Amino acid sequence: MFFHIVLERNMQLHPRYFGRNLRENLVSKLMKDVEGTCSGRHGFVVAITGIENIGKGLIRDGTGFVTFPVKYQCVVFRPFKGEILEAVVTMVNKMGFFAEAGPVQIFVSNHLIPDDMEFQSGDMPNYTTSDGSVKIQKDCEVRLKIIGTRVDATEIFCIGTIKDDFLGVINDPATA
Amino acid sequence: MSVEPFNRLVKLAARAFYDDITTKGDNQPKTGRSDNRGIAVVVLDALTRRQWVREEDLAKDLKLHSKQLRRTLRFFEEEKLITRDHRKETAKGAKIYSAAVAATAEGQRNAKEGEEKIKLHTHSYCCLDYAQIYDVVRYRLHRLRKKLKDELENKNTVQEYICPNCGRRYNALDALRLVSPDDEYFHCENCNGELVAESDKLAAQEGGDGDDNARRRRREKLKDMLQKMEVQLKPLMDQLNRVKDLAVPEFGSLQAWEARASVAGRAVNGDSSSNDPSKSSQGLGYGRTPMTFIGETKVKFVLLIYDSASTSDCTVEVAFSGIEGKEEDVKSQTGSSGLKVLPPWMIKQGMNLTKEQRGEVKQESKMDGISAAEFSHEKKSTSDDVDNKSLQDEYVKAYYAALLKKQQELEEAAKNQELLQVSNSNAVPESVSNRQVGMKSKREEDEGEDDVEWEEAPTGGNSGESYKVNDLNVEAEASGEEEDDIDWEEG
Ligand SMILES: [Zn+2]
Repeated sequence: MFFHIVLERNMQLHPRYFGRNLRENLVSKLMKDVEGTCSGRHGFVVAITGIENIGKGLIRDGTGFVTFPVKYQCVVFRPFKGEILEAVVTMVNKMGFFAEAGPVQIFVSNHLIPDDMEFQSGDMPNYTTSDGSVKIQKDCEVRLKIIGTRVDATEIFCIGTIKDDFLGVINDPATA
Repeated sequence: MSVEPFNRLVKLAARAFYDDITTKGDNQPKTGRSDNRGIAVVVLDALTRRQWVREEDLAKDLKLHSKQLRRTLRFFEEEKLITRDHRKETAKGAKIYSAAVAATAEGQRNAKEGEEKIKLHTHSYCCLDYAQIYDVVRYRLHRLRKKLKDELENKNTVQEYICPNCGRRYNALDALRLVSPDDEYFHCENCNGELVAESDKLAAQEGGDGDDNARRRRREKLKDMLQKMEVQLKPLMDQLNRVKDLAVPEFGSLQAWEARASVAGRAVNGDSSSNDPSKSSQGLGYGRTPMTFIGETKVKFVLLIYDSASTSDCTVEVAFSGIEGKEEDVKSQTGSSGLKVLPPWMIKQGMNLTKEQRGEVKQESKMDGISAAEFSHEKKSTSDDVDNKSLQDEYVKAYYAALLKKQQELEEAAKNQELLQVSNSNAVPESVSNRQVGMKSKREEDEGEDDVEWEEAPTGGNSGESYKVNDLNVEAEASGEEEDDIDWEEG
């Protein structure tokens, strides 16, 4: 799920950036530091959308670095148990398949794949129905439901299922 | 606070879950004589007939090697079925326990007490923890059911993987770390072994090929297992429901129990008149054990003694739980006995069951007849069932009347407490605090009254017969509990 929230961060800036462009420098450094990272608490930071407030800088003793407390708005993405996501299959093996939904990796184990789909090994390992009408392989798009998340301080990993109504392959670029 | 439904729960759980538990070490061969399966059930059954018990004594009673017993008990401790207590014991400490035992057996073993020679080393005691057992059994059932259902539905379960080499377990959330670039299996982080999905074990057991067919068969097997579980464990679940709203029997810690038991021993033996602790044999060390009873506990406790005095009589059990003040309800309930008839393998002599539970009436009435004859030496009263029935009813009525009266008197006694406190505090030569002395003297006073009450009450009904009934209980206890107990354990 996506959220638009306000976060705060203490930015350390080298004295060489001080000057007319201090603010721009601060913001571009913030984007470089924060976008694409993941915190267990808030999820993945997708994009910074605005700066709320930059506090007074504090010169660090000895180094000359200055610390600015920065409040910024950003879009975060955090997967939840029970959430339905669309994802792209990245790898298929005998144990199941892996998929990506943006920054999130999801594993769907073979017992959460419908019983009528069987694993076929080969160059393009895949899961296929007996009549061959549905095939899950690399680069397929699937709709899946998240049934478990592991949230570390810097990482979120999910497991999902496609064994439910309206879940499964939604688009296969190979056949399209 | 009746123990019996809980004991039944323990017995059912023992047979359901601990029937084929063997406590042998892994290095010993599990064959022939060394196979001790079933011992767990015997030990649990024996514990239902005891409260706190010294483990050596239990071993002796069960004719078990104490090491073997200890291993079993340690297992039950881990299973959270029993609580244990270990202490370095002086001769005095051992005597306190002996006194407590004597008291729970209503002083019938007073003679034994002196014989006991205790060395000064650590002794272990154990006791069933009914409250915890209730929770443990419920939790176990819940886990059983959940596991089967989850696996059956194959839904929302986090797949588990296990390494066949080193036994390390993983689940699907570890998947990212387990993939290997070389092949399409997961590999153990530890030993690089190929991981096996856990639910496939069931399929593997039946020699399945691990594909579609096996999956379907596993499903059926799971469904079957779930159904079987519901059917086979039904008695256990029923018993859990029955026990749900009952007060759980609490024996407290070993020390508290000993203190209580020795006090009760005094009450039953009627030596409450003597205020000097050194005079009464059970009271050894009693004066040194701080007593902290409040009025309510005491009422219940006196009743507990009555209960154990007549273990094979259901009517007392009724009265016992009826202390809360709704005697009428409980009476009618147990009178018609909502309890199920026990299967024959569950019935052992010395178990304390209602006639309906035994599924028979004959035996009991015969027993009544015999002991009645024995005690009164009047052959004419050797009675048929009807007679006994009415006699029992009479007895119950009289008992309720007595109970009510006693409660009122206890209340009065509580009011008079301060008075007694002053008058009796001088009589006790111990240097305990004033408050404790007050408690003590009050209790003794009350129990004195109880004693009189108990003997007089049944006489209100019809003097000759109710006296016999009263004795019947003693007889039933003596023969049913003591001797048969030992019989059963030897067998
Ligand atoms: Zn391993």
